Amino acid sequence: MIGSGQSTVERGTEGLASAPWRDGRGARGVVWGMLAGVLLGGWGARGQNPPMMDPLMSLMLSQPRIDITSEVRATATFDPPLVAPGEVAIYRITFNALEESIDLGDKLPAPADLEIQQGARGQMLQMLGGSLVPLSGINFRVRPTKEGAFIIPAFTAMVYGKPVEVPAARVDAVANAPGSRRRHQLVLELTETNLYVGQPTPARVYLAGTQTGVVLPLSQVQLTGKGFLVDQGTTGQRIIQITRDGVSAPTFVYDTTLTPIESGNLSCFAQAFTSGLQLSGPVVVSGQMMLQGGLPSNALLESDPLAVSARPLPREGELPGFTGGIGIFVLEIPKLATNSVQVGEPVRLSVTVRAVQGNLARLVPPAPPRSPDWQILNPSSENAPPQLIQARGFTTFDYTLVPLNTGLTSTPSIAFSYFNPKAGRYVDATIRSAPITIRGSAVPWDSAILSATGTPPPTNEPDLRLSDLTANQGRASMSLLPAQSTGWFALGQLLPGGGFLGLWLWDRRRRYFERHPEVLLRRRARRALRKDRRAWKRAAREGNAELFAATAVRAMRVGCAPHYPAEPRALVGSDVLDVLDATEPSDRTREVVRKLFSATDAARFAGEGGPQAELLKFEPDLEQVLEQLEARL
Amino acid sequence: MKTCGGFKRTGRILVGVALLGFCAEVRGDAIAELFHQGVEAYRSGNYTGAVSAFQAAADLAPSGGIMQNLGNAEWQAQQVGPAVLAWERALWVDPLERSARANLRFARKAAQLESPQLAWYEVVSTWLPANAWGWLASVSLWIAVGVVLVPHVFRRPKAGWHQAVSALALTLLFLSLPALVGVHSRARVGFVIAKDTPLRMTPTEESQFLGRMASGDPGRVLRIRGRYALIRTPRATGWVENVQFSTVSGRL
Repeated sequence: MIGSGQSTVERGTEGLASAPWRDGRGARGVVWGMLAGVLLGGWGARGQNPPMMDPLMSLMLSQPRIDITSEVRATATFDPPLVAPGEVAIYRITFNALEESIDLGDKLPAPADLEIQQGARGQMLQMLGGSLVPLSGINFRVRPTKEGAFIIPAFTAMVYGKPVEVPAARVDAVANAPGSRRRHQLVLELTETNLYVGQPTPARVYLAGTQTGVVLPLSQVQLTGKGFLVDQGTTGQRIIQITRDGVSAPTFVYDTTLTPIESGNLSCFAQAFTSGLQLSGPVVVSGQMMLQGGLPSNALLESDPLAVSARPLPREGELPGFTGGIGIFVLEIPKLATNSVQVGEPVRLSVTVRAVQGNLARLVPPAPPRSPDWQILNPSSENAPPQLIQARGFTTFDYTLVPLNTGLTSTPSIAFSYFNPKAGRYVDATIRSAPITIRGSAVPWDSAILSATGTPPPTNEPDLRLSDLTANQGRASMSLLPAQSTGWFALGQLLPGGGFLGLWLWDRRRRYFERHPEVLLRRRARRALRKDRRAWKRAAREGNAELFAATAVRAMRVGCAPHYPAEPRALVGSDVLDVLDATEPSDRTREVVRKLFSATDAARFAGEGGPQAELLKFEPDLEQVLEQLEARL
Repeated sequence: MKTCGGFKRTGRILVGVALLGFCAEVRGDAIAELFHQGVEAYRSGNYTGAVSAFQAAADLAPSGGIMQNLGNAEWQAQQVGPAVLAWERALWVDPLERSARANLRFARKAAQLESPQLAWYEVVSTWLPANAWGWLASVSLWIAVGVVLVPHVFRRPKAGWHQAVSALALTLLFLSLPALVGVHSRARVGFVIAKDTPLRMTPTEESQFLGRMASGDPGRVLRIRGRYALIRTPRATGWVENVQFSTVSGRL
């Protein structure tokens, strides 16, 4: 509609711009065009809808304003103002500001003999004058250790980044203080404090009214602590008559369920605001009671801490089908929607579970078993509110079963178990089979698909059953690890590898010596020369001139042998001197060589006595000769 | 003196070999005794005792027969996952163990479990025991090397059969290489051994569960971090606790 109006105006404008002013017909057309454009434009504007606002923005704008601009005031009180030494009082500070904006500093300026401990901390919003006024309460548990008056002086807190003065407050500690009770004592009670992890236990928070029947309703009730869950789905509020310490009074009761999720010693306490007539949620009232009118005095109350011991569930003895249910449950006989179905036709199996103890609303149905004869869909949970399930005391598991074969006479049993905390053991609560008749008519098409996706039809498959034990151990293996992944396997490969490498190197060396026999000769000669040289030195040390001469000559022969094609024994002194000629030996050296050969020849061939001892003095010269011979090898 | 030292050394070696042989004999006797105890316990209906005895025997020296019987005992003790694992290990050690193969078919049908999905080279690796492929490749390699090297070293003329043996050995070597890879990757295949094992998104205790796996479901270990292993199953990939999952090669 907007578009049509605009286009009409544009067409009218174009007509005006292109009008032949001198033509009377054209002038009439312009006037009619302008009139039509104005009329149609107005009609188009009438049909135009106002722009739609973002729903989220609308919701936000519809909420009352939170007052954070008013002057922030703080109050500080002790509850009760008179206690005995060692008793606990609550030091309560209240601000008309948002809780997150409050900064009290690191430490309160408390007297030394006043033990102080952090308590509850909370916030609520009051509807005043068309806006929501925040109210934040911060509690501390204080305990005077001796008699006297204890004053926490006025101090400055930062709120919204601005300083706000918290007034001074006084508590008196007097022995045998009369009536040293808090004005409003919030009480937290648990049915059991010795629990298993995951075991839900009912928790009750209550605030007794006055004997005259005046009740103080609570709001923002919460359990504070670590290591447990509070089931908000099972909460309820009541005002009932409760007799306590012999006095009956109407009492505001808040019921919920607490579940430890950590093992060990846990601690928790309840906190709540007194709310006057400003009730949050439905409250069931029984008996006579009175509610005080007027503006409520919203105070943050808290109970004494309660210790809870949580143990982990035992591992041993866990039964199949355990889904975390802790309590005492009773299963009724499972009911089938019908007891005669065709193959492929779904049938509903309903199991009703009643609770003697435990949280029915959070009970998880067991997973269906896998069966080749049945297609079982996952169980559907009830859509009823948890409060209703808990109140009526039973819940129902619904399974949808589809028979895949004929000849079945009962539904499969479904393993289910729960943990009984009283007995400290798991209890078998298997959902029993229900008798059923499966009519063996033609298999519907969808059932055929289910059969095809499951186990293939056992047409030629042999009858499968568990075999008997094997009498033969079989060939043992060192380990399940593959051999090639072990270190010893790699080391084992070094043996043949090293063997083949050694063989190849030996062959290579052998072939080298075959091509270069002189290398081998010189190497052998060098080895023999060193050996004879050692023997010669030994003879020199012992002073054995005969052996000295013989070993010296033998060493010289061995050292010269590679230079001649002859046997070392056939060499004579001149042969040695010929070899030494290359080193230009001195006359003394020549004489030493000649004398040694002469002495040994004489001893060998002429049968003369052994060489004279004077030969031993040639040792340094001979040492030089042998070094020269070795150097030439 | 030198001769005396040589005798001493030889004597020590002989004593060592005799001790090793004695230990092996004692170990074999212990395994046989445990195997017998397991069979007796199974026959008398004491399946837990049978599991203990067969497990102890398998810890000493795993064999196809011991693993097959261990699987039977675990199955009778309602331990589906450990039974499947034991039968798979029986086939890992000895692929010719027919009873284990039949029992696996039976167990998977009864408990509606899936078989692990294997690649072609992993299927090839199932034809022989896992250890056999390594030895086959090793022996083939050294035979090929030896047939080429030894005649050359000892200056024997190259014969036709030398070349035939060398070609055969090299063929066996190359054929066994894919199977070796298959054994290596199949060693990471494992099975869930605990009931309703949670498959976690992260390796932490507080992790979100992706789902739960039935005892005996297959998976493949991709990575291990601390006490968690990242496994890939036919449906999802996630982390399980090491104690709830075990591979056929016992690496986890």
